[in-house]
Amino acid sequence: MTPAVSTDTEYDSIADLAADAATGLRNVLLACADTKLLLGYHYGEWTFGPPELEAAVANCSLSQTELGHVRLLHAVLKKHFGDDPDRLVDDRDAAAFANVSFLDTDLPDWPAYVGANFIVDVTMTRVLHAMRGSAFKPLRMSLDKMIDEERYHAHHGTGWFRTVAQRGDEERALLAARSQEALDSVIEWLGPPGDPGDGALVDARIKGRSNTDIRDAMLEELIATAGPLGLDLKVRIPDDWQGWNPATRRRTSDGPNADILYHLRGGGNTIFKLA
Amino acid sequence: MPYGEVYEVFARKTHDEPLRHVGSVNAADDDLAKAYAWTVYDEENWVEMCVVPRGAVIPITSHGAVPLWGN
Repeated sequence: MTPAVSTDTEYDSIADLAADAATGLRNVLLACADTKLLLGYHYGEWTFGPPELEAAVANCSLSQTELGHVRLLHAVLKKHFGDDPDRLVDDRDAAAFANVSFLDTDLPDWPAYVGANFIVDVTMTRVLHAMRGSAFKPLRMSLDKMIDEERYHAHHGTGWFRTVAQRGDEERALLAARSQEALDSVIEWLGPPGDPGDGALVDARIKGRSNTDIRDAMLEELIATAGPLGLDLKVRIPDDWQGWNPATRRRTSDGPNADILYHLRGGGNTIFKLA
Repeated sequence: MPYGEVYEVFARKTHDEPLRHVGSVNAADDDLAKAYAWTVYDEENWVEMCVVPRGAVIPITSHGAVPLWGN
């Protein structure tokens, strides 16, 4: 695969970057890390209760890889932006999280899980892939590892999307509803056309494609997959992006619900935390 | 209840060793077979792994049967 970005100009640290590019980079890395943290949580939850044993094993593995990716992204955030990884997980208001909002609450059924796997997870990989060969050199090795591991997440999501869609009318209708929710939240997460932070990353060749390009490519492929399966997904791009916050990638000031954050942080085990 | 198809899983740890049969998975399609094979049989750092639908395997010997004259 050819590099996603040209590497004519390269950066070893954020000190070499323009301020808007540095801010945009932190925002996108943290947003991907937050989304992967929530994906890891939900995949872990779905280690129990999926339709077949192999999917349980797969979910356990997918959870592990997502949490591993969080560690990789947090390491970059720590080294280059001074973020404390423990604080990023344990000591932020819910409203400060920048995950795809579809993951804010429990995934109540298997079609919701499939929406997270097939639409949210694969979109994260598209965004990371757009930074493959990035002009910001410290990203490169981590990105290659993550993208390589994400291949199996994509196979799993694609396979289950197709399988559930073909089970029957009721299953297909529920999959369509859950997928629509996932899609709407991903579109919001990717942000408005002309987002200056995203544009600064493209201009600096840290990203090879804008989020709008990524969104359009994702939509084209999703519609091409869903249509023949009888799923009529609507492309609902907001007309009004008023209030959209590039740091949280949403127009509202909510976030993961308290129950999820409690379990994700090990709320009942704080006295056992190692310093 | 099993559905889909049985896929046989083959893998190797180094490029200079032959592919060997490491197990099988039950999956609805090729995508799920790839995901399941990779996540179920993850005990090694495989350099190559592939899956083959069992239905695509053409038996030459009578499968699993002991000949009348013994092994």
